[in-house]
Amino acid sequence: MGSIISPIREPLVTGNKTYNQITEDICAPTERAPSISWVIAFSVANVLAAVFLFTSAWTIWQGVGTWDLNRTIGWGWDITNFVWWIGIGHAGTLISAILLLFRQKWRTGVNRAAEAMTIFAVAVAGQFPLIHMGRAWFAFFVFPYPNTRGPLWVNFNSPLLWDVFAISTYATVSVLFWYVGLIPDLATVRDRARGFRKKIYGIFSFGWTGSAKHWQRWESLSLILAGLATPLVLSVHTIVSFDFATSVIPGWHTTIFPPYFVAGAIFSGFAMVQTLMIITRYVLKLQDYITIAHIESMNKVILLTGTMVGVAYLTEVFVAWYSGYIYEQFAFYNRAFGPYWFAYFAMMTCNLVSPQIFWFKKMRRNLYVTFIMSIFVNIGMWYERFVIIATTLARDYLPSSWSLYSPTWVEIGIFIGSIGVFFTLFLIFVRVAPVVAIAEIKHILKSSGDQYLEKQKEYVQKQQFSEKN
Amino acid sequence: MQSFSFAAGERKFFGICMIIGVISLIITYLTDDPLNSRFWSNILINASFFTGIAFITLFLYAAKILAYSGWHAQFKRIMESFYMFLGIGLIFMVVLGLGTVMGFHSLYEWNNEMLVSEDIIIQNKSAFLNPMWYMFATIVFGASWFFVARQLRALSLKEDKVGDIEFKVHKRMKVWAAIMLPLGGFTSAAAIWLWLMSLDAHWYSTLYGWYTGSSWLVASVAFLILTIIYLKERGYYPKVTDDHFHDLGKYLFAFSVFWAYLWFSQYMLIWYANIGEATVYYQTRLEYYPFIFYANVAINFILPFFVLLRNDTKRKKGTLIFVSIFVIIGHWLDKFLMVVPGVDYTTKKILSATNPEAAAEFSRLIMPGFLEFGVFIGFIGLFGYFVFTSLSKAPLVASKDPYLEESLHHHVV
Amino acid sequence: MANSKNVLFGLYNDDDILIDAIKTARNQKLDIMDVFTPFPVHGLDPALGLAESRIHIAGFVFGLIGAITAMGFMSWISVSDWPIIYGGKPYWPVLSFIPITFELTVLFSAVGMVIVFFTICGLGPGVTAKVLDPRITDDMFCIAFDVSNMEENEKAGLQKFFEETGASEINQKSI
Repeated sequence: MGSIISPIREPLVTGNKTYNQITEDICAPTERAPSISWVIAFSVANVLAAVFLFTSAWTIWQGVGTWDLNRTIGWGWDITNFVWWIGIGHAGTLISAILLLFRQKWRTGVNRAAEAMTIFAVAVAGQFPLIHMGRAWFAFFVFPYPNTRGPLWVNFNSPLLWDVFAISTYATVSVLFWYVGLIPDLATVRDRARGFRKKIYGIFSFGWTGSAKHWQRWESLSLILAGLATPLVLSVHTIVSFDFATSVIPGWHTTIFPPYFVAGAIFSGFAMVQTLMIITRYVLKLQDYITIAHIESMNKVILLTGTMVGVAYLTEVFVAWYSGYIYEQFAFYNRAFGPYWFAYFAMMTCNLVSPQIFWFKKMRRNLYVTFIMSIFVNIGMWYERFVIIATTLARDYLPSSWSLYSPTWVEIGIFIGSIGVFFTLFLIFVRVAPVVAIAEIKHILKSSGDQYLEKQKEYVQKQQFSEKN
Repeated sequence: MQSFSFAAGERKFFGICMIIGVISLIITYLTDDPLNSRFWSNILINASFFTGIAFITLFLYAAKILAYSGWHAQFKRIMESFYMFLGIGLIFMVVLGLGTVMGFHSLYEWNNEMLVSEDIIIQNKSAFLNPMWYMFATIVFGASWFFVARQLRALSLKEDKVGDIEFKVHKRMKVWAAIMLPLGGFTSAAAIWLWLMSLDAHWYSTLYGWYTGSSWLVASVAFLILTIIYLKERGYYPKVTDDHFHDLGKYLFAFSVFWAYLWFSQYMLIWYANIGEATVYYQTRLEYYPFIFYANVAINFILPFFVLLRNDTKRKKGTLIFVSIFVIIGHWLDKFLMVVPGVDYTTKKILSATNPEAAAEFSRLIMPGFLEFGVFIGFIGLFGYFVFTSLSKAPLVASKDPYLEESLHHHVV
Repeated sequence: MANSKNVLFGLYNDDDILIDAIKTARNQKLDIMDVFTPFPVHGLDPALGLAESRIHIAGFVFGLIGAITAMGFMSWISVSDWPIIYGGKPYWPVLSFIPITFELTVLFSAVGMVIVFFTICGLGPGVTAKVLDPRITDDMFCIAFDVSNMEENEKAGLQKFFEETGASEINQKSI
């Protein structure tokens, strides 16, 4: 007997699959003509993506004046969206890297799609600082390079510059991690395809043959990339939190921000994974690979991180009182009872209160509840960033410069459009690449497939619970 | 199944440690300043450190149950013995609490009426920083943790007797584990603020609670590694292999990095924003305790990072013992650095107002001396004696644990 | 092609049978050219006696280069090339440099390792895979022998080996 699995674990691959069936099931969506529902979804996403293109082009053409930002509130929906998308982009790496290190086998069902989601979310997030620059064509100024303006360098003390490095590194490493994992599966698609498709997949699968030595290096590489990606994913949202926490703005300068942002990012990332996977597994008929056990595990992570975020919210409020620092106290009073009270209220209900429903096993395993909750969390986490950014800026030290902010149609268009860009990319992905990691599912089949668990149970029964004990 | 016998030599060893501790405490008490600040801060450092280790082991144990983690199932009895130490550790914390109520120590600035009366900032905090609440929180929070600890321990022992393939007992353990995580998450922060952060009564940091928790976590894993290695040397745990050590080594490595991450986040943000109220904490430490300040980072981050970066060092007992011992001392030094500067500040302030002669004689305790280490050794003796006693009371391996077979065949992929 | 090889290979339909077959081959001192599998089979490396991958060394070296590059470059700029005081911090505010140093360590290490991986494996866009059988990336496990310079009786011996170890198909192909 190979690896021993406790019978207390649920199967992660159901339906009595063979290796060949796994290949068939997962490759099939890339091989058949797109379904009507896909075409409709893709068209809608395309229209929204067009809205994104138009509104961001409008911004660049007319200037950032088309937004409602003002002298007090310099960051509004743009940076809110940026942080929101970056946060969503955390789940993929978390699932593949941290859960790999913690030996959570259920990650194999969802890691591929979650990693793809990460890349698309980071790509979308990256647009917001670019557009916000106004003169987006000068964006390369943010990189330190020898230039003709004398030895003029970027400010290495600025957290915004750290962000530039963090996000470009994160995007690069995520793409590498995802693509290295994808190569063997692309080879599987290649070996099933004919004609032109075979050529295309032949190019993208880099000549993979499945040689033993290649597999060994591939496993070693994946493991080290996971090891690197783990601190990397923590660092990215940490550095995003530094954008705020290094300042002296009350409500921003607080030391809990780094881990609290990371927890929030994981929270919102998992919510988005749930939103996508519940639909994907249904449309692509992957219920045997993304089982209710997977959904339940992710709901547990949502409950855990949601509660961690809750501890952080309450810590902040408590320490604001405890500090005896009136500006800090006012910042939190303003969040709850100021002009943007509804945002604070939405954040608290969606993030802290509503996930508590997942204490009940029935709710964790209910697809409708999970789907609705995932939308709630997405909304709540967007509001959290809005609360942190706009609400705080609206009421600073000087009452004479207090101000209010509400988004213009351009800002709303960019936000809604960014969702369209994200979904366009994701929908293309589910058409061209295997959504579930084929090789990894085959790897765990003999330890987590439902037909093998009965044998495991017999073995454990014999070893642990027979008469001799 | 194997059961552990607490050998006479071991009893003697831990007994001697405890005697060293008691003697050190007595000497500290006799040579102390009039407020006995060194004596009480010594107790606080160690009591909070070992209570914290017990608490965080319970937290980790609960988290492992909920996360379907199985590879540690063989030696989960050691973790159980660790967290049952809560019962002893909390006695010390309650004594410290009684001290705030009855005023037989003056560790906390907020507990001195004279100082508070002329300090508007501390007055504003008095709803939280007052002796009754300190006492109440210590007892209620501590009792709730201890209660969950006892439930989990009792169920774990019960499973040995009545466990079956349906794992009903384990499922009941899951309920208690699920209660423990939010309970521990919320209450530990408040306990840490009261016990430790309030020593610097003016200062505050939102990250302080998690930072302290991560420090306990590293120490807990280090103690776990040392205990397993020792028991394996004595011939127990034949099926604990290099693969288990590899994973324990990964924990030690990862949690050390995590601790460093929190250390950096807290320090860097305070340094960067440079707000007086916040920087004063590090200002004091850098000015008077530079050696410990840098040693803290060197021992607790740089050393485990570079030693355990390689895969083979995580599998060798020698390197693991080396790192574990250093890291335990390192995190104890971290606690020293958290406690002593605040206590010395308060003591000096009280003495200058009440006893100028003693104030003139009083000097900061820049480095832990023999007495500090003596008390530390005493607490190690107490902890070790307790852990070994409770190990000897139950089978060393939980024979009906659902994950036992997994743990016996554990391989690092 | 001048350097094409003549390969005799057997296909197995289960990974456990494959591992047993490899052990038999090693006992019989057969010179296995390569083994192809659809997924990383547990226990394959020890059975084949493959030396552990050293790719992590590349990761460490590249990471070190990244760290030194980042810290060195930022320090040179802030201390020597164009010193500016920002926010009352010293010219060499090492804490401020740690985030970028960390990022570049990870970036160099990851990119370097991936490049090394593709190079030593001979993989890349445009490389044509030498596929013995398309089912190898699906559900077949393959042991291959290089029979370019073999006598007929040796080949027969291999044939027999495949039959005895439970190969479901035995084929020959030039690649």
